[in-house]
Amino acid sequence: MSTVHVLGTGAIPFRKYPEKTLAEIGWPALREAMLEAGVRADDINAVYCGTALGGMLAGQRVAKALGISGMAIVNVENACSSSSSALAQAWMAVKSGACDIVAVIGVEKLTKFGGGTLPLEREDWEVNQGMVMPALYAMRAKRYMHEFGLTEAQLAQVSVKAHDHGALNPNAQIQKRVTLEEVMASRMVAEPFTLWHCCPTGDGAAALIIGSEKAARKFGKGRVRIAASEVTSGKYTNGYRDMTFPELTVRGAHEAYEMAGIGASDIDVAEIHDAFTIAELMYYEAFGLCERGGAYDLLASGATSLGGRVPVNPSGGLLSRGHPVGATGAVQAVEIVRQLEGRAGKHQVEGAKVGLTHATGGGIAGFDHGACSIHVFTL
Amino acid sequence: MSGQKDEAAEGPRFVDPELVALQGGRLQLKGGCCKSCGALSFPKGQVCTQCLSLEIDDKILSGEGELYSYSRVHMAPKGWDVPYTVGYVDLAEGIRIFAHIDESASPVQIGGRVWLGEGRVGTAPDGAILKSYLFATVAGGRT
Ligand SMILES: [Zn+2]
Repeated sequence: MSTVHVLGTGAIPFRKYPEKTLAEIGWPALREAMLEAGVRADDINAVYCGTALGGMLAGQRVAKALGISGMAIVNVENACSSSSSALAQAWMAVKSGACDIVAVIGVEKLTKFGGGTLPLEREDWEVNQGMVMPALYAMRAKRYMHEFGLTEAQLAQVSVKAHDHGALNPNAQIQKRVTLEEVMASRMVAEPFTLWHCCPTGDGAAALIIGSEKAARKFGKGRVRIAASEVTSGKYTNGYRDMTFPELTVRGAHEAYEMAGIGASDIDVAEIHDAFTIAELMYYEAFGLCERGGAYDLLASGATSLGGRVPVNPSGGLLSRGHPVGATGAVQAVEIVRQLEGRAGKHQVEGAKVGLTHATGGGIAGFDHGACSIHVFTL
Repeated sequence: MSGQKDEAAEGPRFVDPELVALQGGRLQLKGGCCKSCGALSFPKGQVCTQCLSLEIDDKILSGEGELYSYSRVHMAPKGWDVPYTVGYVDLAEGIRIFAHIDESASPVQIGGRVWLGEGRVGTAPDGAILKSYLFATVAGGRT
């Protein structure tokens, strides 16, 4: 089986683009990735496109703008894990030897829904009873605060850190630092979350060209390797469940570490799914960056800030870079590849050799989350 | 609990009438119990997730539980009376119920006992009052 290499990356600034079509949001990212890789349309053996709300044949709509057609183009919907799941499919296609060069796209246009919270699946009985995503994460936060004594001011510091990082990232949707006081005084969404505890909605796209060892040699690219690719779904139960310890991420992290032959202490940089402040803290623990209940101490120590031992979300994360649902997994991968290649710019993590991405989500009754996808990148 | 439109617009309407049943004049949560293996479900399953049996009996669930967590929601889609409180209530039979929480009598606390009731939760697009089951620190709920 081949090793899997990243030949090129592309991402557009995450913003609101109400005047653009989904294809117009998507193709510039894919074009950039192709130019970086040096591949042409007919070098591409398959395309996997992740979008949660982009509608039918999103991949074909994006690809045709660049003259890419004829090969298998597969569209992947897996909520917030859509394009990371697309990357996992692409990884498997290369790993197995079925394909040499595969394009991965993550693209989403949330401005088509206007503002406010996103439309959830009306077939879901909890949604029918008034469940909204902020409330789901807020209940996790409340329970975590109850069990571990975390305070609202401590939780708010996650947002301060995220925006400190995002302010350095020209592709971030919010490039503005916020103070603890501003976070705590902003409009209440779902207690204990004010607006600054919640990721913004917007539009975005990112893309990668990945390939086999042979393709990497041929194009003289691919220093960064994808050492592990993992997709899990939550375990369904209508009974009790520990909302402070996301079991599908814990499971996926174990499997990904094993596949990559690394441990938590090997991670130099991580992009994890901080859709709301509490998520970042819970995922520190789920990935074993600290012990249970130790997440705030890790944050407060500065270890997860730029310049720390293991910077988490140097891009600003979902909270600051933005979270166009289906585009998130791909842009996390682009970020980590550029970090390892030493070209992340002002938010560069010096000397990073091992990086992690993690996109999880999907509010669905009976699951911790619907889906989770984790990747490990190495130099 | 009728599905007929003109009738529904006149009186309060239940958000999801399939989830509840009246027993002895009181609202109860209606789950399912697999005839073959006894597995419980809520909402009542059409097929058993344990043994794939299609024979599921109605099962009235206990009207009392422990609040696992909650949040007061201030921003929500149109139709809900904001702010509203939602939470997860753990029933003794091992089922966790997502529910509106009525804090009009007293604020709730994680780990506290809550009792089933019913009450108004929002307004339908046609103006009808939307009701649902809910849990509160006292039995009965708001009207
Ligand atoms: Zn059964």
